[in-house]
Amino acid sequence: MARRERKADAVIVGLGWTGSILAMELAQAGLDVLALERGPDRSTVPDFAYPKMLDELTYGVRYGLMSRPRDSTLTIRRTRDETALPYRVLGSFLPGEGVGGAGVHWNGHTWRAMPEELRLRSYVAERFGESVIPDGMTIQDWGVSYDELEPHYDRFEYLCGISGQAGNVGGVIQPGGNPFEGRRARPYPLPPLPPTLNCMMFEKTAREAGYHPFPMPSANASGAWVNEYGMQLGPCNFCGFCERFGCINYSKASPQTCVLDALKRKPNFRYRVKCDVLRVEKARDGRSAAGVTYVDERGEEVFQPADLVILAAYAYHNVHLLLLSGIGAPYDPVAGTGVVGRNYAYQMNGSTTLFFKDRHFNPFVGAGSNAMVIDDFAINRIDFAREGFIGGSYISSGQFNGQPIRSMVLPSGVPGWGAGWKKGVKDWYGRSMSIGSHGSNMSYRDCYLDLDPTYVDRYGRPMLRMTFDWKRNDIRMTQFMRSKIEPLAKGMQPTSWRSGFKGDGARYDVRPYQTTHNVGGAVMGTDPRTSTLNRYLQCWDAHNVFVMGASAFPQNIQYNPTGTVGALAYWAAKALREDYLRFPRPLT
Amino acid sequence: MTRSVTDGAHRPLTTWFDRPSPLAGPDRRAFMKAGALGVAIGPASAGALAQTSRAELDSYQPIFFAAAEWAFILAACARLIPSEGEGPGALEAHVPIFLDRDLAGPYGRGEDWHMGGPHDPNAPEALGFQSPLTPAQLFRASIAEVDAMCARAFGSPFAGLDAARQETTLKFLEAGKPGLRPELRDFFSMLWRNVREGYFSDPRHGGNRGMMAWRHIGFPGARGAFREWADQHDREYPLGPVSIAGERS
Amino acid sequence: MRFLTRLAVILVLLGVAGAVALAAIIFWPARRTPPVTTLPADWKPAPGAGEAVARAADCIACHTTPGGAPYAGGFRIDSPFGAIYSSNITPDRETGIGGYTLDEFRAALYDGVRQDGRRLYPAMPYVNYRKLSEEDVRALYDYFMNGVKPVSHTPKRTELAFPFNQRWGLRLWQSVALPRAGFTPHRGDATLDRGAYLVEALGHCGACHSPRNALFMESGLDANDPDFLSGGQLGDWPIPDLRAADMPTQTWPASELAAFLRTGRNAETGAAGEMSLTIGHSLQYLPQADLDALIAYLRAIRQDRAAPAVAARRREPQPTARRLTAAVDLTLGERLYLDNCNACHFADGRGARATFPALDGNPLVTAASPGGIISMILGGASMPSTRERPLALVMPGFAWRLNDDEVAALATFVRQGWSNAASAVTVADVAPVRARLRAAQAATAGTLHNGPENGEGR
Repeated sequence: MARRERKADAVIVGLGWTGSILAMELAQAGLDVLALERGPDRSTVPDFAYPKMLDELTYGVRYGLMSRPRDSTLTIRRTRDETALPYRVLGSFLPGEGVGGAGVHWNGHTWRAMPEELRLRSYVAERFGESVIPDGMTIQDWGVSYDELEPHYDRFEYLCGISGQAGNVGGVIQPGGNPFEGRRARPYPLPPLPPTLNCMMFEKTAREAGYHPFPMPSANASGAWVNEYGMQLGPCNFCGFCERFGCINYSKASPQTCVLDALKRKPNFRYRVKCDVLRVEKARDGRSAAGVTYVDERGEEVFQPADLVILAAYAYHNVHLLLLSGIGAPYDPVAGTGVVGRNYAYQMNGSTTLFFKDRHFNPFVGAGSNAMVIDDFAINRIDFAREGFIGGSYISSGQFNGQPIRSMVLPSGVPGWGAGWKKGVKDWYGRSMSIGSHGSNMSYRDCYLDLDPTYVDRYGRPMLRMTFDWKRNDIRMTQFMRSKIEPLAKGMQPTSWRSGFKGDGARYDVRPYQTTHNVGGAVMGTDPRTSTLNRYLQCWDAHNVFVMGASAFPQNIQYNPTGTVGALAYWAAKALREDYLRFPRPLT
Repeated sequence: MTRSVTDGAHRPLTTWFDRPSPLAGPDRRAFMKAGALGVAIGPASAGALAQTSRAELDSYQPIFFAAAEWAFILAACARLIPSEGEGPGALEAHVPIFLDRDLAGPYGRGEDWHMGGPHDPNAPEALGFQSPLTPAQLFRASIAEVDAMCARAFGSPFAGLDAARQETTLKFLEAGKPGLRPELRDFFSMLWRNVREGYFSDPRHGGNRGMMAWRHIGFPGARGAFREWADQHDREYPLGPVSIAGERS
Repeated sequence: MRFLTRLAVILVLLGVAGAVALAAIIFWPARRTPPVTTLPADWKPAPGAGEAVARAADCIACHTTPGGAPYAGGFRIDSPFGAIYSSNITPDRETGIGGYTLDEFRAALYDGVRQDGRRLYPAMPYVNYRKLSEEDVRALYDYFMNGVKPVSHTPKRTELAFPFNQRWGLRLWQSVALPRAGFTPHRGDATLDRGAYLVEALGHCGACHSPRNALFMESGLDANDPDFLSGGQLGDWPIPDLRAADMPTQTWPASELAAFLRTGRNAETGAAGEMSLTIGHSLQYLPQADLDALIAYLRAIRQDRAAPAVAARRREPQPTARRLTAAVDLTLGERLYLDNCNACHFADGRGARATFPALDGNPLVTAASPGGIISMILGGASMPSTRERPLALVMPGFAWRLNDDEVAALATFVRQGWSNAASAVTVADVAPVRARLRAAQAATAGTLHNGPENGEGR
């Protein structure tokens, strides 16, 4: 029999980015807020303290800040006729854990979706006709427009002190920015980071090719910043230990630097760590939730009643909780019915590495978002009918880290080990730069999440099962990007170059790291038959359950998701504060 | 409001740093003070360091590997990153010591990995590691099997073969021909990955003795302070590395 | 009478007189100073006034252990005479001050005397609190009786070594040290006098910022004394001179001084050590008008002289920045700076606004006493979490990474780099600071923010 706690006005599952933002918003509204975090407490000092954080093996290779598969994992298969097996060792994606979540150890690329991406299906149908959408592709509109989200993108960017050069301010194209971006009301809070050699070289090449280079919008601050909560960032020092590491000097936007100390001063906010939520409990009326049940740090089961439940865990953990709690009809890929687990998507990336035997790139001089970008092949720049795919990508050259174990790229011809390898690492370390494509990934009928029939987690609950593979559409897109990148690379006249792009027939391989942009599964939309959430991220089936995060994306945008995740959090918070809390009910 | 440096259920965050050095003897940092004034350690002192480190390796008592396994590891490391030629080999860099400590610890026990069954070691490789064996178990079983293979094929366990035969063996392992049994199919990739980890990780973990591998490639280690370098383009970085413990070179 | 007999009688009479005097000193009842103003018996403080006065007087800082219940005592103060533990001043009747009358409460603040007549060590700044107005005394009494949660907790007893454990000796000390009770306005202006009251009485700033004489008395208790607030020493830390014309209190724009006192950080630097705690516990809560008055008063008592305890500055900071940027042929100190400090304080030694303190031109760095900068290199520091700037920025310590030679070389470098021109630091300076840091109890993190309900506070 679970111990029962006193009721909270709002219980928040997960204290990462969205958990912190929602906690602050709801606490400011006067609610009694309790956040439950599965992992440990984390603060810049001592957990990310210099110089102990600069340990590539512990954090970069052995994933010291990530969630451990032993504690929590899922099963993965490519198709329905394969048996899904546990993701036993982290590889392809690295879910975060602990207070701050993956917001602690991201690189900081902070983008807005394009207006067209938020209404992708309509855009495709209007521009090219429904017939270009291949059978089995299940792209959808999001239900919220770019114009509606714009002030919330702005809010998140100013929360994080994003450093960048705006491209479209109030409809006026700005030099040095992204001319293809959606309109923004005002410039970025901070100017761009100083560019490293690779950025300058790529910028020159891109400009000469007639493209429009601009600096990557960066959550690594270019200067001291104070945000709306009085929280602060210092200037990034290009330490070269960004992604997978907590920031040593308060310069990467994270819940720790941007929200938490301010949130913890609120007397009506509390949080508990090492508390693992097992399920959301449905209320007797069948249309809402009564609270959540969790296992506390001593292993005891606890029922936490609440009027409002916010799921703010990592994207696919949210989906897992919904399935385990029986909230929303589970997706059935054969019948094509149900919504929870539907439209899981990933990210299609590829790159070309250029080697220059006489250049000193000093790759250890890295910041997570230190990159030069062109968006000339973005989604709104591509003729889908002509090119034979739906999608788009930004292309960039970044220098994020030069860590020798995991970032040692060598020219083909250098042996994989032995004397030749030893010579090769000396000859080629610090002599390379890369140009990469970060592209969209559509959603498909047979890419989805459900509950595994065989494997259970440490509480005996069925594990989440991911069914996902690369599709021809996105492979065509990445090959298109390759055809744009390689001429640029060759034009820079490197000593040699080599490419890594997925080709025809490529299958999903969980071993190499690709990206931690797992999206979908609890998608937002305007039609309850094809979405789990309405346009305010409110569950159609339980009006007091709101589900944050990239699980809401109906397909993946071409950009990194965090900017949109942050904007949606503020958008949902506004609906909560100004509407739902006054009169709790389904908002649409 | 004292601050704890553990994260409770997971490993204490100080484990790596507080672990005593398995090497008794003179303070390693005292040696490094020779380079204290930023003077790059030249060939003479690099040579002296290599000699010292080989002597340390010779006197090291493994805590995980049995004698025959240790012989395999030393020989395999010598082939994977040989001592010959410019730059340190795996032996000078104490990679075997790194491997020994690593496999004896939480990594060897697979403490982060999901080890629960059922297992299908024959699963497609793209679905990742599916062996029921922990890294420690996998290494022991693989070394035994490789030694047995070499004895059958060449008349001696791996450590007793000449360098050419050892290289051939490793190449076959890398290609999966002849393959080890399915539970062990990841052995070569794990071994080579772990060797690189031992070569390039912070010296606190037992390898990269005296940061010699970092000097070899020009990686500055745990300095993590390069704001004034962001716009020094195409200039060779002049400073040697610093380790987490503060060793300088 | 024989000479010797007479001598013996005189000695005996002197001895008896001495014994009587000693007995009187020890046993004569303490005299309690009466109120300086007569208030009606039913006088009530305004709502919240008591808590505001308690914050301004910073009672919580010494009467609360880190992580402990507020005001329940047991906080250890390392004085030059030994460890002193604070009392429980919650209204618990058995272990706190719940049984104190108003007069007994006032006697603690004014006379340094407990209810049972024992004298308080001047770790309790009653020499300063003696100037509190009767309104503030009454407001405090009301707060501590009615506004503070009673906590049953018996703190550790203070046991100093002989002769400091002879509390009757304090009576003698008090007879010399205690000024007249109450505050006499002396600035001729209501705002400046409010500032004087805040600094001289409630804030007891002189307890740290004034030098102490051989009898451990503050040199000067108000601005009429030139030594008042001219700087002090707290353990290994040099405490800044607030009146010298070249010190930040006088040279910063008023807005920067206000930001520092309100948030523990400004464009130039951040608070560390005891001042960080003081801002976090007390100064951040001062109403704006009080903060303005405090600053106006400090500016009004400026003295037209340089601070003797801080080195003068050179005019060329660029060579140091250039050398660090070039990173060639470095001295040990420069190399250590790049390996340990550059990540936040940067090659120009300017840090970053309100985030990382500037080292160039920083009086803590260039103080004659290097104990402060050595303490920071070894033990780090943290800014307080404040309402306006909640981020509790922490500098990690490097004691585990740097030996005494390295600390000396690094401290020398920062003291002589950029425009700094202070003295060198030697191993002999470093070793005792390290030993004392190690011996001290775990320091507070200097913040009041909360941790998880079920985990360790951070």
